[in-house]
Amino acid sequence: MNKAKIGKALAAISLAVITAMTLGACGMGISGDDVIISEKEDEKIVNLFSPMEKTEPDAENTARNAFDQTIAIAEERLGVNVAYRTYTAEDYQDKTYDDVALERARSNLDDLYLLNPDVIQVLGEEGKLEDLSDLACAKNLREVVKTANTVDGKLVAIPQEVVAYGLFINKDMFDKYKLELPETPEEFLECCRVFKENGIETPIGANRWWLETFVFAQAYADMYNGGDTEAEIAKLNSGESRYSDYMRPGFEFLQELIDKGYVDAKKAYVSEAIEGEGEDFLAQKTPIVMAYWGAANTETAYGKTDFNMQVIGFPSSHGQMPVVPITGFGVGAEAEHAEEAKGLLEVILSDEALQVYSETNKVISPSKNVQVDCVPALKPLNDRIEENVYVLASNAGLKVEQWGNTCLIVRELLNGATVDECMAEFERLQEESLKK
Amino acid sequence: MKKKQNRNGKDKGISLLVSIILVFCVLALIVFSVAWKTSKEMAASAIQNLSESLNLIECTIEAIFRNEADLQKMIARKVAEAEDPEEYVSLYEQSQSMVKLSLIMRGETEGISNIGEKFTEEGLDFSAGGKMEELPISQSYVNHMGTWAYTMKCPVIKEGKEIADLYIEYVYDSLDKSLPNSFYNNKAMLYIMDSQSERFVLKPKGMGERSAGHLNLEDYYHANDIKEQELRNNVEDCLKSGKNILFYHDIRGKRSLNYMWAVNEGTVYLIGYVPLEAIQQESRTVRHNIFVVVAVMLAAFFLCCLLYFLNQQKQNKIREEREREREKHNKQLADALQAAQLASNSKTMFLSNMSHDIRTPMNAVLGFAALLNVEADNSAKVREYTKKIMASGKHLLSLINDVLDVSKIESGKVALSLENFTLNDLVSSVDAIIRPTADNKSQDFHVEVTGIKHENLLGDETRINQILINLLSNAVKYTPEGGNIWFRIIGMRQRSSQFEHIRIEVEDDGYGMTPEYLKTIFDAFTRAENSTTNKVQGTGLGMAITKNIVELMGGTIDVSSEIDKGSLFVVELELRIPEEQADRKFWQENGIRRILVIDSEQTECESIQTLMKDMDVLIDTVSSVDEAVNTMQQDREGYQLVLLEWEKQGDDTVSIVNTIREFVEDTTLILFLAPYVAAGMETALGMEYTGILTKPFFVSALKEKILEIQGGRKEQAIPEEDAYSLEGLHFLAAEDNDINAEILSEILSMEGASCEIAANGRLALERFEQAAEGEFDAILMDVQMPVMNGYDVTRAIRALKRDDAVEIPIIAMTANAFAEDEKDALDAGMDVHLAKPIDVELLKKVISQYVKRKE
Repeated sequence: MNKAKIGKALAAISLAVITAMTLGACGMGISGDDVIISEKEDEKIVNLFSPMEKTEPDAENTARNAFDQTIAIAEERLGVNVAYRTYTAEDYQDKTYDDVALERARSNLDDLYLLNPDVIQVLGEEGKLEDLSDLACAKNLREVVKTANTVDGKLVAIPQEVVAYGLFINKDMFDKYKLELPETPEEFLECCRVFKENGIETPIGANRWWLETFVFAQAYADMYNGGDTEAEIAKLNSGESRYSDYMRPGFEFLQELIDKGYVDAKKAYVSEAIEGEGEDFLAQKTPIVMAYWGAANTETAYGKTDFNMQVIGFPSSHGQMPVVPITGFGVGAEAEHAEEAKGLLEVILSDEALQVYSETNKVISPSKNVQVDCVPALKPLNDRIEENVYVLASNAGLKVEQWGNTCLIVRELLNGATVDECMAEFERLQEESLKK
Repeated sequence: MKKKQNRNGKDKGISLLVSIILVFCVLALIVFSVAWKTSKEMAASAIQNLSESLNLIECTIEAIFRNEADLQKMIARKVAEAEDPEEYVSLYEQSQSMVKLSLIMRGETEGISNIGEKFTEEGLDFSAGGKMEELPISQSYVNHMGTWAYTMKCPVIKEGKEIADLYIEYVYDSLDKSLPNSFYNNKAMLYIMDSQSERFVLKPKGMGERSAGHLNLEDYYHANDIKEQELRNNVEDCLKSGKNILFYHDIRGKRSLNYMWAVNEGTVYLIGYVPLEAIQQESRTVRHNIFVVVAVMLAAFFLCCLLYFLNQQKQNKIREEREREREKHNKQLADALQAAQLASNSKTMFLSNMSHDIRTPMNAVLGFAALLNVEADNSAKVREYTKKIMASGKHLLSLINDVLDVSKIESGKVALSLENFTLNDLVSSVDAIIRPTADNKSQDFHVEVTGIKHENLLGDETRINQILINLLSNAVKYTPEGGNIWFRIIGMRQRSSQFEHIRIEVEDDGYGMTPEYLKTIFDAFTRAENSTTNKVQGTGLGMAITKNIVELMGGTIDVSSEIDKGSLFVVELELRIPEEQADRKFWQENGIRRILVIDSEQTECESIQTLMKDMDVLIDTVSSVDEAVNTMQQDREGYQLVLLEWEKQGDDTVSIVNTIREFVEDTTLILFLAPYVAAGMETALGMEYTGILTKPFFVSALKEKILEIQGGRKEQAIPEEDAYSLEGLHFLAAEDNDINAEILSEILSMEGASCEIAANGRLALERFEQAAEGEFDAILMDVQMPVMNGYDVTRAIRALKRDDAVEIPIIAMTANAFAEDEKDALDAGMDVHLAKPIDVELLKKVISQYVKRKE
């Protein structure tokens, strides 16, 4: 038999086998067992209550992305499922996130909460939050974090980033009018005057949340930078010193900004953060806004501008002053999955996870062991923080909660209250605290 | 015809291709329609599945609402039965779903709640008219716990009279536990929306990928880029009328099915989307599998096509190859036929020539023999006729030799016998043969040797000689009287250090050849002119023999010629250089360290330097005697030998020699380099320590000359023919041919010798055995003999145990005339080989060399 014949025979056999297999495969039914037993997996759940920003559908939300990365690490490592719960106010008439967070924590609806400084202090004082000082990750924390979030000796919340607020400046516009970046309140007013005279209707874009940063910068610049901080806090807590004395210059400054039309009080009163003022700032109609550090990295905020943006501190007697309110994750004291939540915190606040978070978001890490570079726009602000020049906008050591209360009182100012009336409110709050 | 076949082949190929494409189009259509139908059915089935899933969730939520309403009614009855309804309510414990119970007595605007707060209906909006089991349901709101809630209102009826309203607040979070943990493997997004406010009040866990949270329907539209107003209006209408609506829209770049599914007649809605890829996973898998199957089948089909195509190509190639082979074969056959015809023609021509050439001398032999018979008494005539008979016989012999040589070479039986030889001997012997014939025709014969590095070489001198003699004798033959013949040996660049690459040029300014003849010059049996019409006689085999010998030696031969201008033959040979070349000792022994060469030809000087290179002798060259004088004046060491070009000297030979002698010692040799022995040399030869060295220069010739002069020896004069004498010698001749035996006997007796003939080898051997020692002076041995051939006899004689058995000269005398025959003879123990017919002079010379005279 020659090769050709062998080849033909092989081809015929192969064809026959393929045909048989094809026909067999077509006629084959679904094989397997007749009984299928489905076992329910015992799922470990941690309910997380946190704010979710409204974002454009296809925009990458850097902050969430970084946070999600750390959560993913924890989920994989601990085998838990983190259920996200959120609330966003539809408008200023709705309950705020802080209101809802407070109520939910009080009602033990969730296990883990991302809380603003004022809520941390309130819930901490009410004993609604677990003491986290035993967590291994707490040992790596910077002192400033511990100071701000320790209530009655308990560390009640730990953040993933140290949020610093600053003034976001359109440097091109400052250059256009040959203006130096302001160091003091006076210089700041002068800049606003020049802008206003040059046809910029409202030099400062504001919302109902963050105008208080001006107040903190002026109120506590001395106390946190050069003064005897502990002694001054002790005097405030004992009533020897008055909050109103600290706060008044800042409020008067805000009043002046409002009076001179540098801030549109009515608009600010009903504006949500960034939503209200961001558009004009990005469109270069407003040269100055205030925002937190992360906004400079987030494309949905001010991460991508058509102009040279610089982030500087707020004007104060000590020059440009970063304002640092410490937020944090708190675990409900009576939460259903409190232990799992603490386990989760151990992972997402570990140096490893914080490194991921800080590198992704380019933010200041609460851990002493994690250092990352910041974007160029943030350099002026970062330089000040590196020099240890900043004021705390929240301090659980102060008996009168600062961040939330001041925000509300500034809103009163926006709503037409006088500086004296605002100071009276501080007096009232201090009196209340003295009674506790 | 062939083109037509090709066209037919192409047409068939195209129609086959079209058929295949058609079949595939039909197949593709079928596959497409099957895939499309399957896909459509599965898509419908997927939508059906989605609707059923949404129905299931809807029913679940409605069941919860219904249970809550039933429970609320039951509590209302209990409250009615209670003594103090307000107290009953205030003490009622809140549960996970019922987070607040409140009661407002009829006629009052403020009531109490179980969480200890005062309660009013303020903030509760029942205006939408949503009901469950006839209980009004409020618009959703964020309650005191910070979570989305709704309140159902139930009248408390006591004794048929409505006494109060029971409000129970339920939280949406409680629904979460009753809903599935995952919807389309977490790929589908699902919210529960309050229809009136269009706020999203719950996103059950596991319902959708993590993304930006949605606040309300408007936010959902915005985030998912649903801008089409018509679509939104449709959705709005459906929401108002409590209908379900599904619509396709891209969500985050993925084609998705959006759904708005009414629960409890539209009080709340299930809002969300699921990417098509998630619900049509099965259909995609089926499509994918169909695609894979089709792709595999296509690949297999194309593979088959490719194999078929390749096979066809291979077949075509083989066919073409065979065709080419056949054509080639046919051509070869035609060529062979032509060659055979040519050969046949040549051989016919040759036979004709030979017939003529043989008949001519034969005619002379027979004619003169007849004349001899008549004129036997006239001794003068007899001598003349005999001389002519001898000449014709010799011519016949050369004809026969050439014919035999050609047949030998052509049958490949020629072997080269390699021996050491010097170019000097070669040139001398050629010169000795050619020069006299050239001189006879008054032709100038120029011999030039240049660039030779080694003159001692290894080769078949006899055959090289044959080549040169053939070429040169042709040159002499085909050049008219007074013409020129140049014989050049040129040393070429060596290709290997072991071989001397020489180029031999034989040039003449004779008749030349036609281009047509040049093409066949090296073919056997051709001649420049037909011998019947040309005076020049020859076999026409010389050039064929020459070419064959040259090629046998691995050389090449080329010829260029022009009619009436002459011819140039160029032979290139590479001859092995023997290992021992330089003989420095000779020069040391003779005290020759420095030689002065006076020659106007630069090439001659260089040639001398090259040949003397390895001799440890310094060669100084100058171009004139004056220059030589200058050189010698400045030189202190002196020369032991002076080579002086002859031509320049003329009559002043003596004075020039004397001039040179002033600077060299009297015993220093002065040798004239002369092209040949020229006129006026006698004077030079007369002087002491002076001699003639024939050009071209060879080291061996120089050495011989030095020895000759220094030893006072003169080359012995060539012995006269008479010097050889066979007088008184007695031979034993083994010869089976009577005539030959008789001739031999006669010749020997004419020379005064005697011989005894043995008719075969055996007899010769026996006769020698019986003979007394010294009885015979030599044995003349034929080779081809009956009983015992010459070789065997020789071996037997040499093996005999007697003193003269080894010494007695045995001379082969045979018609076996080739070099191989000579070799065989010598190998058998014979002393020398002589070819028949017998050349008497040669026989005498040889015998006298080998036979010791009795005295």
